[in-house]
Amino acid sequence: MTTAPAAEPAGDSSLVQAAREGDRAAFGGLYARYARMVHGILLARVPANDVDDLVQDVFLRALPRLCDLRDVARFGPWIAAITRNRANDYYRQTRAVAAVTESLPEDEAELPASNTAPDAQAAMILAFVRSLPDAYRETLILRLVEGMTGPEIAARTGLTPGSVRVNLHRGMQQLREKLNQASLSGTIHHDSCSERNSAAQDKNALRRRNEP
Amino acid sequence: MNDDYLWDGSGEPDPEIQKLESTLAKFRHQGQAPEFPAIAATRQPRFWHRFVSSHWSFRLAAATATVLFMAALVILWWSQKPNTTSGPGWDVESVAGTPQVVSNAFGKKAGTAKLGIGQTLVTDSHSKANISIADIGTVNVEPNTRLRLVAGGNGHNRLALDRGTIHAFIWALPGEFTVDTPSAIAVDLGCSYTLQVDDSGAGILRTTLGWVGFKLDGHEAFIPAGAVCATRPKVGPGTPYFDDASASFLEALSKFDFATTTAQERSAELSKILAESRQRDALTVWHLLARVGESERGTVYDRLATLVPPPASVTRDGILRLDQKMLDLWWNQLGLGDVSLWRTWERSWSPTKL
Repeated sequence: MTTAPAAEPAGDSSLVQAAREGDRAAFGGLYARYARMVHGILLARVPANDVDDLVQDVFLRALPRLCDLRDVARFGPWIAAITRNRANDYYRQTRAVAAVTESLPEDEAELPASNTAPDAQAAMILAFVRSLPDAYRETLILRLVEGMTGPEIAARTGLTPGSVRVNLHRGMQQLREKLNQASLSGTIHHDSCSERNSAAQDKNALRRRNEP
Repeated sequence: MNDDYLWDGSGEPDPEIQKLESTLAKFRHQGQAPEFPAIAATRQPRFWHRFVSSHWSFRLAAATATVLFMAALVILWWSQKPNTTSGPGWDVESVAGTPQVVSNAFGKKAGTAKLGIGQTLVTDSHSKANISIADIGTVNVEPNTRLRLVAGGNGHNRLALDRGTIHAFIWALPGEFTVDTPSAIAVDLGCSYTLQVDDSGAGILRTTLGWVGFKLDGHEAFIPAGAVCATRPKVGPGTPYFDDASASFLEALSKFDFATTTAQERSAELSKILAESRQRDALTVWHLLARVGESERGTVYDRLATLVPPPASVTRDGILRLDQKMLDLWWNQLGLGDVSLWRTWERSWSPTKL
């Protein structure tokens, strides 16, 4: 079954048109709307310490290429693609350095300098999310880290609401399993009923996808 | 407990998710907008728009009106019918006119149709369509195009463009989307590009974002953003180039790639290409290393070395014997992307039938 793609966020087209004509405030408006999405996509792929710089880099790269955007209503999917490509570039550029550096487990690399217990726990949970399949980790980070709702994620990324809903549901299910295995369930108040209800939740999610 | 709270924050709050949100909030985006540089107004019409408008003359208006009237009748007729297309496939939306999937025609009022594996999408001179490829991208189909869906899903999405023009905008992993043409295979490496094929099977690919690999029988070309590559039946992909090169460079390159010439004439064209090449044309000169005879390779090496010096680990002897590793290392010096992206994803793109 196919669910219609989410509608273009209101006003994107006019902002893109204005930015193309040299309006910096309009491009700033696009930044305000899409910075969280870009940040989340990057956070799903590259070390947290480098994400802020890369967010700015993505927008600065997108700026001169606005003329290449054929459908102004598709700014979200377009900049999402640029972001994923930038994340790929990040690894190509840093690979040579990594080759001569002792490998550091990703979880450790993500630990903030202060290394307090809450920070360490947050870094560990983030590492678990990042170990999920691509589609799940990106959607979950946009929801849990960036605070975007499912409909907002669909509208910004161009994914169908049905896909986003399924990604959130299944991604959360897999995250719970990983947290349980790592004995973090108590820390995040894992509801023991959730395991028993998971099959029923799956059915409900699928039923909702099929609802208009 | 249902997942309404996870979906949109409504319903009964899930304490587990609330705890995750508060724990992970420290990673949330908090950056301020940077100072953006001045933006130059960009209103240059796209090639295709110029192309279409140049053919849209007053003399054709009467004939067009007749055809549109007929098309409107067909659209009206089809809009009264239920959409019976079902099963797996890619959603196709009519943008203009009456595109056809196999024997089914559909218009705007009919909404979307599906392009199933093995089915063909045909647009006439008045119709356009958009194809949504699952969650990995879109393909805009221009008039007078014939396109087949060869494979879809599971990371292998493959179209065959028999003739016409498509604009592909793909955000899938590199290598998950390929397009067969009668004379080459275009392999998406994370990008946006336009691909045109004429009735003879000759084609041209223009990359606008990211880069594309063009390949046939071991003859390969890497086409970064802003570059162009032509392809011809029985020859395969030509040498990629930036089209802001000099006219004599482009003319010589076209003859070198595709004209029927004697060895002496071809050698003369090569000399013109090398003499006219700028640093930016290192893209072209690098490709020529593997496209010239052994006797001419040293000349090409010397020219490329003046444009972009080779890395220390690359030797003249290695390049003259076309050592793949050295060629790749030199490519990486050109600043056009890392060739390992291509090598990593190069697997089974050989055409099933060309």
